[in-house]
Amino acid sequence: MSQQVTPVSRVVIRFAGDSGDGMQLAGDRFTAQTALFGNDVSTFPDFPAEIRAPAGTLPGVSAFQVQFADHRVTTPGDAADVLVAMNPAALRVNLPELPRGAQIIVDADEFTPRNLVKAGYPAGVDPLTDDSLADYRLHAVPLTGLTVEALRAFELPRKDAERAKNMFALGLVSWLYHRPTEATVAYLREKFAARPHLAAANVAAFTAGWNFGETTESFAVSHEVPAAPRNPGRHRTITGNRALAYGLIAAADRAGLPLFLGSYPITPASDILHELSRHRQFGVTTFQAEDEIAGIGAALGAAFGGALGVTTTSGPGLALKAETIGLAVSLELPLVIVDVQRGGPSTGLPTKTEQADLLQALYGRNGESPVPVLAASSPGDCFDAAVEAVRIAVTYRTPVVLLSDGYLANGSEPWRVPELDELPTIDPAFATGPNAVDAAGAPCFQPYLRDPHTLARPWAVPGTPGLEHRVGGLEKADRTGEISYDAANHDLMVRTRRAKVDGIARDVPPLTVDDPDASAEVLVLGWGSTAGPIAAACAEVRAAGGSVARAHVRHLDPLPADLGTVLARYRRVLVPEMNLGQLARLLRARYLVDVESLTQVRGMPFKVAELRTAIEKVAADV
Amino acid sequence: MTYVIGANCVDVKDLTCVTECPVDCIFEGDRMLYIHPEQCVDCGACEPVCPVEAIYHVDDLPADWLWHLDAAAEATAGREEVEPVPDPPTVLALPARPANG
Amino acid sequence: MSESRLLTIAGSAADPPLSARDFRSDQEVRWCPGCGDYAILAAVQGFLPELGLRRENIVFVSGIGCSSRFPYYLDTYGMHSIHGRAPAIATGLAVSRPDLSVWVVTGDGDALSIGGNHLIHALRRNVNLKILLFNNRIYGLTKGQYSPTSETGKITKSTPAGSLDHPFNPVSLALGAEAGFVARTIDSDRKHLTSVLRAAAAHEGTALVEIYQNCNIFNDGAFEQLKTPGVRDDFVLRLEHGAPMRYGPDGARTVVRDPGGGLRPGGPDDVAVTHDAQTSDPVPAFALSRLPEAGGPTPIGVFRSVRRPAYDRLVVEQGERALAERGPGSVADLLGGDAWTVPEPQPRVGGGPA
Repeated sequence: MSQQVTPVSRVVIRFAGDSGDGMQLAGDRFTAQTALFGNDVSTFPDFPAEIRAPAGTLPGVSAFQVQFADHRVTTPGDAADVLVAMNPAALRVNLPELPRGAQIIVDADEFTPRNLVKAGYPAGVDPLTDDSLADYRLHAVPLTGLTVEALRAFELPRKDAERAKNMFALGLVSWLYHRPTEATVAYLREKFAARPHLAAANVAAFTAGWNFGETTESFAVSHEVPAAPRNPGRHRTITGNRALAYGLIAAADRAGLPLFLGSYPITPASDILHELSRHRQFGVTTFQAEDEIAGIGAALGAAFGGALGVTTTSGPGLALKAETIGLAVSLELPLVIVDVQRGGPSTGLPTKTEQADLLQALYGRNGESPVPVLAASSPGDCFDAAVEAVRIAVTYRTPVVLLSDGYLANGSEPWRVPELDELPTIDPAFATGPNAVDAAGAPCFQPYLRDPHTLARPWAVPGTPGLEHRVGGLEKADRTGEISYDAANHDLMVRTRRAKVDGIARDVPPLTVDDPDASAEVLVLGWGSTAGPIAAACAEVRAAGGSVARAHVRHLDPLPADLGTVLARYRRVLVPEMNLGQLARLLRARYLVDVESLTQVRGMPFKVAELRTAIEKVAADV
Repeated sequence: MTYVIGANCVDVKDLTCVTECPVDCIFEGDRMLYIHPEQCVDCGACEPVCPVEAIYHVDDLPADWLWHLDAAAEATAGREEVEPVPDPPTVLALPARPANG
Repeated sequence: MSESRLLTIAGSAADPPLSARDFRSDQEVRWCPGCGDYAILAAVQGFLPELGLRRENIVFVSGIGCSSRFPYYLDTYGMHSIHGRAPAIATGLAVSRPDLSVWVVTGDGDALSIGGNHLIHALRRNVNLKILLFNNRIYGLTKGQYSPTSETGKITKSTPAGSLDHPFNPVSLALGAEAGFVARTIDSDRKHLTSVLRAAAAHEGTALVEIYQNCNIFNDGAFEQLKTPGVRDDFVLRLEHGAPMRYGPDGARTVVRDPGGGLRPGGPDDVAVTHDAQTSDPVPAFALSRLPEAGGPTPIGVFRSVRRPAYDRLVVEQGERALAERGPGSVADLLGGDAWTVPEPQPRVGGGPA
């Protein structure tokens, strides 16, 4: 073989096929191999809302994009270097975003007249033969036929044999980028442990794909991507939803509280319910409720009983939970509400990402109803954000909204496994006895007597003798918690609840400003999942000789105490958001700073290139 | 807790309170009415309908009427269903109300 | 009873017995004078000492409405929550704290209109909750609109020409929702109310108790026939498990099977059907719930009392099984999962499959 090996610094691969083609699995395995090899990696599964749209049609296309490099990567990449298209629909859907010169690997067997028509090509048109792909490096490989041929010895029904073509494709791409294969082989053996025949067949398909790359003339060049420098320590790849579930378990463990999740299935949050339901031995109880309202209601009931109450949802569900969050504000009990945002309004884009629930999380309730709001910034950060949400909820006896989004939920990245002693102390400090004396001088319990520092009220759980008390949604009298319609008391309670949330800012570390030469005049301020694209764009601006500062907000209420000072240091402030400028509006109102809003709502993360262009445009205009 | 009927009822017995009581716990003696202290649910329906302001919550009972609680307990002791009851000696001993002229 | 939930809740044999007075909170009761809720409150306060539980192990959760003020007046733990959601909130509490005795207080609007979904799901799950549904067939707190149990044609502020909705029969609904324990009683009949509370408390799982409750302001006299001495005997059938269903003065009237499959009033010489609350078949209880529609009396008492594992107990057992099979979870192991240790960066090339 005279094949040539060239090193490259970073690669983006997009696996695309029909929903039933196993592209997510192929992408997952490629990611695991790549992370294990030592590249930095970032992924983005992009699947349709329909579980199984009609096979071969455009709405049925499911994709998995992965970027890996010999340096830090923070996004799954703007555009693919390699597109694996398992059918004509996958090619047609993904071609518009594919840069000229990219490699395309297609399953030539699937390019039948019937499939071409299903994908919307005019009758008689075949992109593989009509020269329309001349600007790309096309590899038309009969993946299905080769897979069936490779598995002949297994005597599987043809359908079953064909199903292994995703492993053939994975083998081929693994060869192309010199990926280690042991992990995938081990994975297949474990996954099909109960059916060793199928395990062997899948391994055979995977191996055949690799061998095909090695022997065919079609691929003249293969590539090495050297490992990326990374801090030593234990790592694993993790998705946002799994990291979030782990964060909740770790925080509950840290607090010594049983974890109770009340939840109703909703995309893209359901995987948190699935994950938590597997961990009963950690004292986790999951309750699949009859609706969103019951999900949070049950979590709040459990919180009243002394558990760490959690509910998980997405935007439409958060709307339904609003009244119960208001009750939790009145009860002043710990509660964590996770909103994995998706495109809205209404049912919107269930499988696409957006960060347009910020104002709903902050303000979507009746009355003055302050709730701390946090947002995770990367898949791995979902762990830390969950721990922080629990810390605030328990310490301050308050519902907390934790915002994630569809991109973080399903995207994955290498994550350094934290040591448990790195986690903050979380002390439920349950009330155990009287905290006041009544008019007659006898000890008594006042459920709304506050800690002078945190303004948190005591958490007295049923079963504690002598602390029997009643809570509810009617306005509470200061200290005693009795029903009160008194005007002055209401004014005091409204302001006190707000002050309690404001006071959390004392625990929030100063904003980390990434301003390497301290000379930038432009600050890019983000929140949530835009962190990766913003970091990548700023790196590109700097690499091109530009100067830009970057900061990212995790706490959205209360905002970091020094945010106003930071904003004032820069002549221009650019706030990219996947909404129509919700944080920008808040910053303008709060700090009277003329921040500039950069918005997009296409159901996708920002592209690094478009961010870079926007930053450079602002910088040029300072 | 209970409501108590006091001396103003003696030789009056308007009976509106009896129809008003949702749990039928007001018993009729020869000279006055008695609220069964164990059966009264404290709902207060009887108090405003009394034309002679004879009915008070036990906590608000005028001091010189406190003994009416004991009289009511005595008159209704051991009884469940509403039925005529004999007046206790303390009530029998009260002077007759002068006829309204 | 021997296996009843009561015995599994933190015992208090050594404690001095409590009285009704011990369950009174210091809050001033604020229902309209004459409201049936007073009678129910007095009966509940009188019954609670029978549970033999300490006050701190009892929780009352309510929704919104007149009846939902109930928890404020009981010196136990309590929550006055939001409209319709009490069964959901109580479910979370009961599931995470099976050591508590959890009671729900709700009304016909709260439980059957805005909270209908939570009610039916609590019933089918059989969470260990005792649900007291105060049915006055009217919206009281919002000042007199018709409710989901108001009779068709009800003239109210919101239906000046008469309501058009067909009402729910709460007992029929509960039976359709797979309830294991369903009973009905009347606010002013303290003895009967107490006996039904006793039966509900002894039932493991969800117990639904419909309490006919008079709203003397907006729907006065709704249940007058069932209450008036001398009249009520002709209109009330007092259910007793294992006893023939007879009513009327001196038990002269009977309930018999209808050829159509249901029940109907029979003649004095007919053989009365025997009430079986414990049969697994919900059909007899359902037929009983429709008896007034067939021209018969209104049954009060326990319609159905069938044992089925309580949801919270199943949750506990599942957790114990997981613990036994996997041992206590180690967070460090969970987080570590399939982690690898990052090697020092060095050029490396992957090899082919073995």
